[in-house]
Amino acid sequence: MNRVCTLSLFLIRDLFRSLASLVPLAAGFTFYGIAFEYGMDQAQFITVAGVGLGAICLLTALLLSGRANRASFYPFAARLPRRSELLAAVPLGSLAVTAVMALLMTEAALLQHKLTLDFPSALWIIPTWLAFWLFMAALALPLSSLVSRDGSHMVGYVLITALLVANDRRSFLEERRLHWLSRAVTAILLPMATLLAQASAGSYGRSYLLAMVLTVAYAGVLFGLATALLKHKDLLWPE
Amino acid sequence: MLRASELTKRYSSTLALDRLSLDVPAGAVFGLLGPNGSGKTTFLKLVMGFIFPDAGQIDRGGLSTSRIGYLSEHAFYPTRFAVRDYLTTLGRLGGTAASPQAGISVGPAYSTAGGNALRGEIDRLLAQLGLDEFAGRRLGALSRGTLQRVGLAQVLLGNPDLILLDEPVLGLDPAAQKFMRDEILALHLAGKTIFLCSHNLDEVTRVCTHVAVLKQGRLVRAGPLPEMLGARSQIIITTDSLPADLASCLAALSSGITADDGQVTLNGEARAHKAQALRLLLDGGVDIQRLEERKISLEEIYLEVTDSAQFPGSES
Repeated sequence: MNRVCTLSLFLIRDLFRSLASLVPLAAGFTFYGIAFEYGMDQAQFITVAGVGLGAICLLTALLLSGRANRASFYPFAARLPRRSELLAAVPLGSLAVTAVMALLMTEAALLQHKLTLDFPSALWIIPTWLAFWLFMAALALPLSSLVSRDGSHMVGYVLITALLVANDRRSFLEERRLHWLSRAVTAILLPMATLLAQASAGSYGRSYLLAMVLTVAYAGVLFGLATALLKHKDLLWPE
Repeated sequence: MLRASELTKRYSSTLALDRLSLDVPAGAVFGLLGPNGSGKTTFLKLVMGFIFPDAGQIDRGGLSTSRIGYLSEHAFYPTRFAVRDYLTTLGRLGGTAASPQAGISVGPAYSTAGGNALRGEIDRLLAQLGLDEFAGRRLGALSRGTLQRVGLAQVLLGNPDLILLDEPVLGLDPAAQKFMRDEILALHLAGKTIFLCSHNLDEVTRVCTHVAVLKQGRLVRAGPLPEMLGARSQIIITTDSLPADLASCLAALSSGITADDGQVTLNGEARAHKAQALRLLLDGGVDIQRLEERKISLEEIYLEVTDSAQFPGSES
């Protein structure tokens, strides 16, 4: 775990010493400016900011994995007993960056009176978002060039785009009697949707917990997939 | 220490290594030579586990890759980090855990004791490699020679048992080359096994105990360097005239001796018969005009086995 933390910290520092760090920062500022323009209550905050920061988490994970996918990383890779440690450092770093951004965003919104939070129920935001962001960070791994094998990440992008489009056009699918596809899309996205919806409604019962467990399990499956892809991949990093 | 058996590696349609078998003895300084694209760097990356062979096996003598120091051919570093910062991060990652000689603790990287030991190890390496004054400088602001010393510092961090160096003197000025050579020799004296790839044949001749030559991914020559050079060295004795009976006597001393046209040549191990040959010639009343020892250079062997002699500028 120490190695993962060290590597994660290094990746974050490496990212924030480069121009690439402007990407998550700009995304964060833009999101804040748009999402908080008219203020938010706690329910909106959980879903809107959760998803927005989740997207930033995914973006940051992609950037961090890009930092690790370079020839300068050979000495680091040489010291790791398992490649999965390199992978684990990416979502960890991404979670840390997103958490700091969320904290700053929340503080700014509170100070500008654009957000109202009810304590102690607002504390449930923390595990809700962490589970969701973990999923998003893990999702970035198979989509990264670090893990990609023979263009597998492109397949991932196509699948995710198709899933999001299908989710957006569920009524269209129903009209075309593609009920099975509509139900499949709903089922795939159900844990994350339920997690945010239940938290937004302030309902932290069995459904919420099950949704959280399934979201974390999704993250585990995605991490396992990324580990399997990277395990026997030739590390021919750009020099 | 390191053994490769029938190692084959292919990059799509390019055969990088073709059934390469190599045995690197413990404590050796092993030089791997070959033209560009002959598979030298590929072999190092296979040893490090960065890439995987299509066929064959590598026996690292029970060493994990984290116990192997690796210096890549091109100096790529995270340019915005300071030297000490970079080395500290690498030290915390590992390769130091099983290093009782270096005095680095096995415990958590962030523990005070481990941190102190690591700091001490880095201080020692910075001093040893003359990097004291550069400890706080950013890697991006360093010269090629200094970067190569930083590279060597990261290789030595954690006291690895096996050291792989890919073109360690590439692009270095003569002073930096000498520094690197001295360091390699010091590591050899300390009992380390060193494996280096190089195009610098003079450097290889000076530091290596063993040499192998690759050509298009195939091993074309391998062995201890003194044997390789000695087997092809000659002693040539030039006389005014050489009687036929004397020539027969000389040839009878060793199969490695040829005598004709007034010239006696002692090839390879037959050079040990130099004194006997000279005595026979002097006793036979032959006037010896010239005694010459011709040592074959590694360059000659290299050009011969790689068929590179036809290229412009090369010597045959």
